[in-house]
Formats: sequence, structure tokens, C-alpha cells
Amino acid sequence: MDTNAIRTIGRQELMINVRNRWTLVFAAVFGVLVLSISYFGMITGGSLGFQGFARTSASLLNMVLYIVPLVALVMGTLSFTSETSAGELLFAQPVTRGEILIGKFLGVFASIFTATVIGFGLAGVIIAAKAGPEGSLRYPTLVAYSLLLALIFLSLSALISAICRRKTKALGVALFAWFFFVLFYDLLVIGGTFLFKERTANSLIFGSLFGNPVDMVRVASLMTLNGKEIFGAGGAALLRFLGGETSSLIVLLIALSVWVIAPLIAAQQLLKRQDI
Amino acid sequence: MSSQIPKPVAAARSSGLLFLTAANLGLAPQALRCCPLPRTQHTTFKTLQVFLIALILFFTVSSASAATLDVGQGRRFDSIQSAIDAAHDGDKIRVNAGTYSGNLIIKKRLILEGANNPVLRGDGAGSVISIFADGCAVRGFTIEHSDGDLTREDSGILLKSSNNVIEDNQLRDILYGIYLFSSRANTIRSNRIHGRPELEEGDRGAGLHLWNSPDNIIEDNTISETRDGIYVQSCNGNQMRRNRVTKVRYGLHYMFSDANVFEDNFFSNNVAGAAIMYSNRIEFRRNAFVHNRGFSSFGILFQECNQLKAEDNYFVDNATGIFMEALRESSFRHNTIANNDVAIQMFSSADGNVFTENNFVDNLSPLQLIGRNTNTKWSENGRGNFWSDYDGYDLNGDERGDLPQKIQNVFEYLEGNHPRLRIYLDSPAAKAMAVAEKTFPILRGSGEVDSAPLMHPVPAHYEFSDARPVQRMNAGLMISSIMLAAVAGFVVWTNQRFRAR
Repeated sequence: MDTNAIRTIGRQELMINVRNRWTLVFAAVFGVLVLSISYFGMITGGSLGFQGFARTSASLLNMVLYIVPLVALVMGTLSFTSETSAGELLFAQPVTRGEILIGKFLGVFASIFTATVIGFGLAGVIIAAKAGPEGSLRYPTLVAYSLLLALIFLSLSALISAICRRKTKALGVALFAWFFFVLFYDLLVIGGTFLFKERTANSLIFGSLFGNPVDMVRVASLMTLNGKEIFGAGGAALLRFLGGETSSLIVLLIALSVWVIAPLIAAQQLLKRQDI
Repeated sequence: MSSQIPKPVAAARSSGLLFLTAANLGLAPQALRCCPLPRTQHTTFKTLQVFLIALILFFTVSSASAATLDVGQGRRFDSIQSAIDAAHDGDKIRVNAGTYSGNLIIKKRLILEGANNPVLRGDGAGSVISIFADGCAVRGFTIEHSDGDLTREDSGILLKSSNNVIEDNQLRDILYGIYLFSSRANTIRSNRIHGRPELEEGDRGAGLHLWNSPDNIIEDNTISETRDGIYVQSCNGNQMRRNRVTKVRYGLHYMFSDANVFEDNFFSNNVAGAAIMYSNRIEFRRNAFVHNRGFSSFGILFQECNQLKAEDNYFVDNATGIFMEALRESSFRHNTIANNDVAIQMFSSADGNVFTENNFVDNLSPLQLIGRNTNTKWSENGRGNFWSDYDGYDLNGDERGDLPQKIQNVFEYLEGNHPRLRIYLDSPAAKAMAVAEKTFPILRGSGEVDSAPLMHPVPAHYEFSDARPVQRMNAGLMISSIMLAAVAGFVVWTNQRFRAR
């Protein structure tokens, strides 16, 4: 792989996205939401002012879980299925398809990273004004998990684009994927627990977490932000199931990396064989 | 022991706890004077008056004859025990600053007073001070280094007599702080007790341990890093006020103790703020149960109790605010239950309890019910509770919502009996289920309903600013946030140059 080529493609992709209205809209919406949540959470202080940081950042997380996957899927799909002559031109250059894929992937991620991090940075200033000592490590963790989520859904959008090839079809599938992972999957699992016997249901609940990156990020972030006891006995059982706190974190990070890498490799394999 | 209950005390116990103080101080005859007496009893009254004057005279004379024995370097006595040996009933022993080694055993009615905070260092066997005589006082000492045998009640101060006053002492490196062993009507005030944090929780003793000791007054003590803060077993009619208990297992732990009162206490960072077990008719007001966090941590925990009364308490930022198993016929009024992960966890064995005019504010889950349903009344006389997530309206302006508040949504209802489902807490799916339940009422979940929810919170009388986390600027987070935004700006800026090339 030629890193120079990847970098050039990535930078080009970033500039296309920076000029893209989608990125602007996303950055604006994300910024406004993040700022208003942190303002109403921290400055007005809720009704009693306890747990200001934990509750505010949990609300931020809620918004991240909806918006970041959606934006990553849409921006990724738009970028990976370029039907204009720019795409043909790019594929005509002396670079491999893998390099184009990686380059675009990094370029789109850079633009999402920029938009997200500006929002988080400004909100962080507001939160820091009243957070007290507790937020120093937890807030950056939330930012890191959000970026991981963006990576995962970008990677999924690469796979979707490679399968569907046509832009409209790929966008449709991407929106369905968003709906599935954010909402439908959890409903299936919750419903499923009532069909099985208790033992099976219990392992189903824990096993199912790994089938959905949104759930993994939600559980991990809530445990970091609100303290690991937030899920009560269920949380304690989960930590025991995964073999303690450190091993849980390792298992989680491995699972999340698999979710980033596996779709990307699959997309690359598909692209290699495709007739463009 | 129980056959020796003085009459006024017994009367006070049955008539009402507030008379206790008067009875303890021997003021009961004066209290009688205040009562209007019928004319036929006038002579009896006069005799009583004469008797009273004689009594006062007696006490004046006897206190005048009481000696003060000075202990310290260059004083009459150089060890406390020698002064105790030389003293008579009613004498006062004044101990000057310095460190005094050796355990003390008191078998006379004495006042032990420390001037300039002398240190009593036990010899590491048994208790540092053991009191066997009634009516003693110990004040102004630092007491340390007891033995470590839980079965022998090794404590800083071991009381085996009644009517004592223990105040303004500091106890450290002790197994039990103050142990009341069949000891009635004592006053334990303004002591600071710090246990042995190096021990496992199960190997420590309680800060204050009451066993078979009724009618004590326990005020203004500060307790930390013991097993339980205040442990009360088989003791009726005690009063606890303004104590602060932190970093212990249970802040206040009642076992088989009826008719106790505790007020204005502060419990934070414990496994449970208070644990009330197998006890009846306990009343508690204006206590704060805060920051009790952990997988099974509770603001307060009830097990097999009847007819308790909770008013104006604060349950804030606990993993579970209130936990109840087999709590019956108890009432909760004017309490504020806020910012807990779970506000109330209730087994269906809880029966006939009433919640009225409480504030439920910003709890992640208002109620976790283990079992199908309970007989809990969520409103009384048309007054329900304030729920911060109530989304109804009040058209007739009677300050009560026109729609009933369903306390649990369908997800919370399912989660009660499948604890692992809580992993899906706060997920979009769980929220969608709650919305679906409102839109399609066919989904039937929990039957726990507040039929008269309040539109505004009940004013909280009690301010406890020290429980609130300090809200000041976090410089580290501020700098890293600015750096984050700067990094984003940098990425755009560097690639802006890329376009120019």
C-alpha cells in the first residue's frame, strides 16, 4: 500500500466534504444540540444540581447514539458511491482499489472527526465551567467512544456501498441499517428474552450486546460516565460474565475493532473483484 | 436489669419520647408541678414541694463537698488510675495535657475531664475505658489503641452502667468506638470516632454499638471507617440527632429495636445510609442519605418492619434510593428522592405503605418492582407526589395533574423481573416501548399509579449544602476541550493549504 497515495486521496476527500453542505449541516446541528444540552444540563443545573456532570454527559451520549451512526452512514455512502466522473477519474489513476478505499475512509472520517470534535470541544468548555474534579477523564472517554462509533458505521457504509454499488440503493440500505442498529435490534432482543428459558435468555442478553456496536458503546459509556453500578445487578452479572473490569474493557475494545476492520476488509475483497 | 426501670422513665417511654430528656435529668417532679392538680390533692402537692427543696439542698451540699483531683506532670497525681483509686463518689478528675498509657476501669461515680486534649492510650488488651458505675462523665479526651477481639467488646469506651455522659472525645485506632452494654439513659454527644480502615469491613466493630440499651440520646457525633456507624440491637426508645456517618457499611443499623427516633443525621458514601431490620414504629425526619453508590448500595434499606414514619428526608445520588422488603403500613411524607439510579426498589412483600407529598426528581428509574404488584398507596386524601417526568396537565388549576401518573413504564416493569434487561436502560428501544405504551394502551404493564400527582414540588425545608458536589471550574477539562476544538481547526487549516497547491 502506498501511504502517499492514501494521504492524497484522503486529503482530497476531506476537502470535498468540508465544502459539502452535508458536513456543514451536520456540524451545525451537532454543535447546536451539544451546546444546548450542556448549557441546560450544567448552567441551569437541573432542579437540584446533583450529578450535573453524569446526567449531562449521559444526555450527550443519547444524542450521539442517534446522530453519529446516521451521519457516518450517509456521508460514507455518499462518498464511497461516487457516480460522477470524479470517481472514474480516480479509479483510472495508478492506485490500487484498496488504497482508494482506505484513503476515502480516512478522508470522510477526518471530516466527521472535525465536525464532532468542534462540537465536543465547545460543549466541553461549558461543562468544564461547573464540572468540578470528576469529568477530567470521563468526558474524553465519551468523545473517544463517539469517534469509534463513527469509525464503525463508516466501515459499514463502505461495505454497503460495495454491495449495492448504486448510490440511491446504497442510501436506502444505509438508512435501514441505521434503523436496525439503533432501534430494531434492541426491540428484537428484549422481545426474544421472553421467548426463551431464563438461562438461554440471560446469555442471549449478554451475547446480543456484541452484535450491535451501538449497544456496546452505550453500555460502556454509561458505565464510564455514571459509574459501573448504573445497570444494577445486571451490570454486575455482565462484568462477571466478561471476567472483571479490565478484561471487560479489553473484550469491548477488541469487539469494537473487529466491527471497524471486518466490514472494511469485506468491502475491499468485494471491490477487488468488481467490474467498475 | 429491666426490672429496675425508674417509674418516670417508664412513664415517659410509654407516653412519648420527647419527655425522655426531662426524665433523665431528674426533672420529672418539676414537670408534675406544671400540671393543674385538683384541690383535694393540695396537701400532697405541698409535701412534694418540701421534698423537692430538700432534694435541691442535698444536691447543692453534696456537690460543694465534691473534690477536684488534678492529674498531670507536677500535679497531685501522675497517673489517672491512682486518682481514680483515691477519689470518692461524685468527685471530678481533671486530666491535663499529655499522653497517659494504660486502660482505665471506673467503678465509682466520677467525672473525668480532659483539659487541653490529653491522650489516653490503652495497653492494647481489652477496652481503653470501662465504666461500671452509674452517672459518670467522660469529656475532652483523645482515646486510642484498644484490643481487637470482636467477641469481647474491645472498645474505646465500654459502658456497662447507666446515666453516663460521654462527650467531646476523639476516638481512633479502636475496634468499637463506644459500646453500650445493657446501659440505659446515657448521653453520647459530640464525639469523633474513626475506626481501623486497614481492617476488612467484617473485622471492624461499630462506631457506636448499642446492645440492650434503651433510652439513650446520641447527638452530634462524627463517625467514619468503622463497620456500621451506629449499630442498635434490641434497644427501644433511643434518639439520634445530627450525627454524621461516612465510609462505613451501614450508617445506622437497627435490629429488633422499636420506637426509636432519628433526626437531622447525615449519611454519605456508605454501603447503605441506614438499614432498618425487624424493627417497628421507628420515626425519622430530615436525614440526608446521599452518595451511597455501588452494585448493591442503598440510601435506606428496610427488611421486615412495621409502621415506620419517614418525613422530610433526602435520598439523593444513591444507586438505589429506598429498598424495601416486607415493609408494612409505613408512611413516607415530604421526602425528596432525587438523582438516584433507581428511586425505589420494592419487593411485592411490601404491603400497605403510603407515599404522599414526596418529590421524585430526575431518577433514572422511579420504581423497580420485584414481583407483580403491591398494595402501595401513591396518594392519600387526594394528594399524590411530585414526579419530575410527569407530562400531564392541570386544567382545573387545583395544583394536581388531571391525568394519573403511571409510575413505571413497560420497560421498567419488565426489567423488574428480568434484572439483566437493565443493560438496555436508556436505549432508544426502551424509550420507544414507553412511547408505544402511551400510544397503544393495549400494552399492559405495571399497575402502580399515582392518581393525584402534584404539579409543583413540595418545598424542601432542609438545606444541606455540604452534600452537594462542589461546582467549580475543571481546568484540565477546560484545557483539553479547547485543545480538541483547536485540533479540529488545525485539520481543516492544514488541508486548506492542500487545495492551494
